[in-house]
Amino acid sequence: MAADQETEVSEAQIAVHWPEEAYYEPPATFIAQANAADPALFERFSEPHFPECFKEYADLLAWDAYWHTTLDTSHPPFWKWFVGGRLNASYNCVDRHLATSRNKAALIWVPEPEDEDTKAITYQELYRRVNEFAALMRDFAGVKTGDRVTFHLPMVPELPVSMLACARLGVVHSEVFGGFSGTACGERIADSGSHILVTMDGYYRNGELIDHKAKADEAVAKARALGAEVAKVLVWRRHRGQYASKSPMVPGRDFFVDEVLGDYRGRVVEPVSMPAEAPLFLMYTSGTTARPKGCQHSTGGYLAYVTGTSKYYQDIHPEDTYWCFADIGWITGHSYIVYGPLSLGTTSVMYEGVPTYPDPGRPWRIAERLGVTIFHTAPTTIRMLRKLGPDEPKKYNYRFKHMTTVGEPIEPDVWRWYHAVVGKGKAVIVDTWWQTENGGFLGSTLPALQPMKPGSCGPGVLGIYPVIYDEKGNVVEAGSGRAGNICIRNPWPGIFQTVWGQPERFVQIYYAKYCRDKNSKDWRDWPYFAGDGAVQAADGYFRILGRVDDVINVAGHRLGTKELESASITVEEIAEAAAVPVMDELRGRAVEMYVSVKPGVVSGPHIEQKVAKAIETAIGKIARPKNVWIVPDMPKTRSGKIMRRVIAGISNFSDVGDTTTLANPEVVEVIRRQVQAEKVARGELPRQLSPQELEEIKAFGRAE
Amino acid sequence: MTQQYLVGELSLILGELQAAATNAAAVRDVGRLRREAEITPPAALGPVVARAVKLGGRVCWDALTQGESAAFIRDTAIYAELWEFGVCAGLLEEGQTSHETGRS
Repeated sequence: MAADQETEVSEAQIAVHWPEEAYYEPPATFIAQANAADPALFERFSEPHFPECFKEYADLLAWDAYWHTTLDTSHPPFWKWFVGGRLNASYNCVDRHLATSRNKAALIWVPEPEDEDTKAITYQELYRRVNEFAALMRDFAGVKTGDRVTFHLPMVPELPVSMLACARLGVVHSEVFGGFSGTACGERIADSGSHILVTMDGYYRNGELIDHKAKADEAVAKARALGAEVAKVLVWRRHRGQYASKSPMVPGRDFFVDEVLGDYRGRVVEPVSMPAEAPLFLMYTSGTTARPKGCQHSTGGYLAYVTGTSKYYQDIHPEDTYWCFADIGWITGHSYIVYGPLSLGTTSVMYEGVPTYPDPGRPWRIAERLGVTIFHTAPTTIRMLRKLGPDEPKKYNYRFKHMTTVGEPIEPDVWRWYHAVVGKGKAVIVDTWWQTENGGFLGSTLPALQPMKPGSCGPGVLGIYPVIYDEKGNVVEAGSGRAGNICIRNPWPGIFQTVWGQPERFVQIYYAKYCRDKNSKDWRDWPYFAGDGAVQAADGYFRILGRVDDVINVAGHRLGTKELESASITVEEIAEAAAVPVMDELRGRAVEMYVSVKPGVVSGPHIEQKVAKAIETAIGKIARPKNVWIVPDMPKTRSGKIMRRVIAGISNFSDVGDTTTLANPEVVEVIRRQVQAEKVARGELPRQLSPQELEEIKAFGRAE
Repeated sequence: MTQQYLVGELSLILGELQAAATNAAAVRDVGRLRREAEITPPAALGPVVARAVKLGGRVCWDALTQGESAAFIRDTAIYAELWEFGVCAGLLEEGQTSHETGRS
């Protein structure tokens, strides 16, 4: 019975198994003060007004020269926004606020040790620090417009100062999350071609001063191994005059910033007027291949987009105290701690440490003490705060008007706790969906105009026209209950410009899948493939389901190949693993695992059992593979990527496609003979695949 | 989704575990796992967290069997942080048994 039920579960039914949640309306007090309370906004940002609608965002900035072309589509999908326009991001986030808000706090930094004083940095002080560090960067470090500089900095005020100093010079910054290893940092240094690393000696985490500078040595060594030489390592000190690291300073390479900075006191650096399409920063994402992806974000388009969405969706007013409880090492921090809020001239709070140090009441004490009005964090943090201190918010007298969630879908149950307990039933919640590549929000509710619905991020934001496509490019209609691939039909100013140094990867990953005509210069032919699965309710709200890369749908359960493969290689003897779908009469699709063992390991059924067990343990019984094939090697491209498409062809007795570009084409025939002979011996005889099934197998693995 | 921070948080905690480990083999194994975490897409982190928990248990046991009580206290704190992170990030099931993850 259970098996019969399972076979009838279709992808469509996965979605309808989730009950629709009731709406929550924003309080009247919020609507009365909201930046975006005029329903005419929807008309202004509707498709007939695209792309000129984004002038409304760009007009929030100060431009040195106005643009002549709002959107240049002459070289798709490398869109250019506000072409001809010139501006400086540092000027927009700092200088322009001096006239009215010189002595207002731009940043309030909260150190992790609770007995250490909070530091407020006014716009005037920020201006001074940014100018002095920009002078140091230019005259001491020798960087010039267009160069890349890597930061490996924790959550300290020196990070936004360094970012804005680079932006002032037109230098492209690339911040690597401070918690990453030196090796990861070194890889990003090498990929970006930076010659300067800005780091810190230490920072506090869980009550301890962590030695951070040691990672710089590892990073420099890794970069060197990859052919990139770091000329200077600039080391900020967590406590001026004291060195928190055991790692010795390397003479001629390593310099304490606080010592060198003395020579640049009071120096003023004129902001370099940059073309709107000049790159502002790189933000790396990790991936399965050896080379990380450096998402290149523009100056004008990006800054306009994060400023506009900060104003309308975060509802930031200059008099707000805004706290995005994230790390600047991620895109959320770049967009919604630094560039968006500072461009609007508000006060942005930064916190150094972990949310639960010294206890789970810490975030609410900070909110109470600083009078935070807008709070912004990730569901993982919300779940942790709920788990470790479900009643803590009630003990503190703070009052949020607005709260955001970012980074992952939030379960309705967690959403309700966030609303009722953290928000005390009085704050609106903006649930957002977007990605590192996107610069700013793509899916959300406009808080005064659209009701909240737990578990759904909302519809596309202003000027974003999302669509859900199935694998063949057919539109999955709203309200159909069917899931598919969420795509954005149009370009927008915040979209990244390219993958740094890998333009072909940019096109292949994000645009090739649904491009209708690669020669077309019409943006309508180039939908952006986000790589997330989603379902759209009849009201237009989206629920995001997670990554769609190489999903195997087993009886209605979407299993990621990466999860299956990661589970397999937890088995000590396994060197490599690849998961592929095989047509299955009972469950629609089943999983087959291909594994290779480490040198010296004797393969046999015990290994197959171990792999199957590891998958069951990590993912569940539903993921248990139909077969585990131990093969001598995997078919791979010359860059080392396993060609799942080829293996899937073998498992399904279908065409394996072109193998001439493989690094080891000979292995295909070896595997084919081994696997297909064994299947026939087991009675797993091939059947004729339908054209759709053949297409699915051919397309498998192409998501990467 | 902007889930990259899950990769970073896991790397950070593994870095702490690596620094706290008292046994050379464990230091090496945690280092390798951290490297793996840093190049694993966020959607595939679950099994890496499960292995991290298993390794964390081993690091705690190492300290205990060597009679290093201060190290043991520190290791268990990191272990607890790792466990809470995994559960709250949806990468581990709260009810996952000790046998499945190696949690001791």
